[in-house]
Amino acid sequence: MEQIVFGIGITALTGALATIAGSAEDTESNIGSQGDPNSQVQLAPQMGFLHRIFNKAVAGEPPAYGLWCALGAGLAWAFMAMQINAVLAIVLGCVLAVFVQGVYATTAYLGRTSSLAKFGQPVYVDILKSMTSVTMAHAFIAIFCTVTLCHLINGALGHPFPLPLLGLIWGIALGAAGSATGNPYYGKERQYQNQKFGAGVPISASGNIVRYAEAGERNSLDNGWFTAKIGGSASGVCFGLIVFLEIWRTILFEKVSAGWGAIIVGILMILIFTVVDRYIEVWARKNYGPYTEAKVAS
Amino acid sequence: MNPTAMAVGVVMLLIILALCWYVSPGMGLMALIGITIGGVLIGFGTHFVPVGGAPAAMGQAPGIATGVAMLAAGAGLAGLFGGAWAAEQGLVVATITGGVGGGLMMAITCMMVNFVYVFGMGIPAASGKVAKDPITGDTQTEYKSQGTEGHGLPFVSFVGGVVGGILAGAGGTLIYLQLLSLYEATLPAVMGLPPAQVIPIAVAAAGMFAVGLFLVNAVLTAYNITGTIEGPHDPKFKRWPRAIVASAVASALCGFVAILIVAM
Repeated sequence: MEQIVFGIGITALTGALATIAGSAEDTESNIGSQGDPNSQVQLAPQMGFLHRIFNKAVAGEPPAYGLWCALGAGLAWAFMAMQINAVLAIVLGCVLAVFVQGVYATTAYLGRTSSLAKFGQPVYVDILKSMTSVTMAHAFIAIFCTVTLCHLINGALGHPFPLPLLGLIWGIALGAAGSATGNPYYGKERQYQNQKFGAGVPISASGNIVRYAEAGERNSLDNGWFTAKIGGSASGVCFGLIVFLEIWRTILFEKVSAGWGAIIVGILMILIFTVVDRYIEVWARKNYGPYTEAKVAS
Repeated sequence: MNPTAMAVGVVMLLIILALCWYVSPGMGLMALIGITIGGVLIGFGTHFVPVGGAPAAMGQAPGIATGVAMLAAGAGLAGLFGGAWAAEQGLVVATITGGVGGGLMMAITCMMVNFVYVFGMGIPAASGKVAKDPITGDTQTEYKSQGTEGHGLPFVSFVGGVVGGILAGAGGTLIYLQLLSLYEATLPAVMGLPPAQVIPIAVAAAGMFAVGLFLVNAVLTAYNITGTIEGPHDPKFKRWPRAIVASAVASALCGFVAILIVAM
């Protein structure tokens, strides 16, 4: 019983850490413009719309976070093998991983933006100075939370995978959850804030992203501030639910019926999310209504 | 579909299996067959995952706004995490646990995608490839906003995502379990160490190969899909046979290398 209570406590802690990690990941990727909406940031100068948006999408979020979390976890693992305190080891590992992220962000911005020179897009040094450090700060939070939850899973809950491998797996899952949930909000709601609310961006509007803020030109810090409210929170909830429910069903029900308990609970949870998703879909159809009249088949 | 290419793929697969039989006829061959089946499950499962890429991020096309390989890898690796934890429960329970883990990850992600579209952006789900949802029968065309190919995840895409996660998670776990049992049995003799000492090495090596094989198959399928896919109702889904053959050959080749580590 004591073991189960301990497991539930650790599970709750990993869920909380994952929620923070997901939120920080999405905000970091939006400030760095690393997700799929970056196609518009890259396209805009080619359509004649010069801007001051950061641009570091030379890798998708999942492989990038897989690298950084595996790096942070691997270095922390090495430091712990050198008998350094676990907390200090994780912090040091994550700091070194964030330096790699900073180098990546700098070279990616310079490379991607200078490739647009023929369209007249300048490389803004002040943007590089002010944005890079902010993405690094958010990346540190995301990597630190992910490596810490991996350490808890490995050390306290006894998962067989070594820490660096857990860092790679949960780093990729973090990037996948964050980009899937957060990208539409950054792409549609922020970059195309001048388009109608409640509708997709017409393909003909591609490249015409919003470039001006309340005062002066918009930059990526404005985008991070805006998307943190819904896109970031939703990404955090998404990754938090994934980590929490996956560990929760294992800790509580793995011993029931020789492993079948965790399987049945997992299937039940999938069914519950299916019902919730269907409810959301039907709710939108009823409350928002169709854009055009339904065509009657002749 | 190119029959010649398919036949060449099948012949390559048979050659790799024959080589494995020559090098390690018992356990190695059985492991390679399991790895190949796991790779095929990953490759097939990735076709179900609704991926909209960059257009989905602007609400211009349905699907999840990220890359095919990346999303499948995220779901499948979450499944591998759960399956590896249940490895002691036996092959069947661990493989199904891995599948359920991948399906659960996709169910949560797909639900949150629709949550953001509906409550964050005020956009209902609409398919661009079919007039009616094949499962619910909901009409789609009038719910597409002007100038777009649809947006969000209609119910059939949600179900496709969950099925894809289940297949990918089960496939990744199957690969891990096959390599783990092979390494646990052979590494003590290869390294001259007692079995208890090689278990961490076997777990780490099997886990890394499983992740690597996962990415190989997910990326291979992404090439087959070429960009975006809405799910099982998308015409691109019909391309799956050639991806099955390609995944089987690639998994067999990679698995053969993983087996050679302990067989030579």
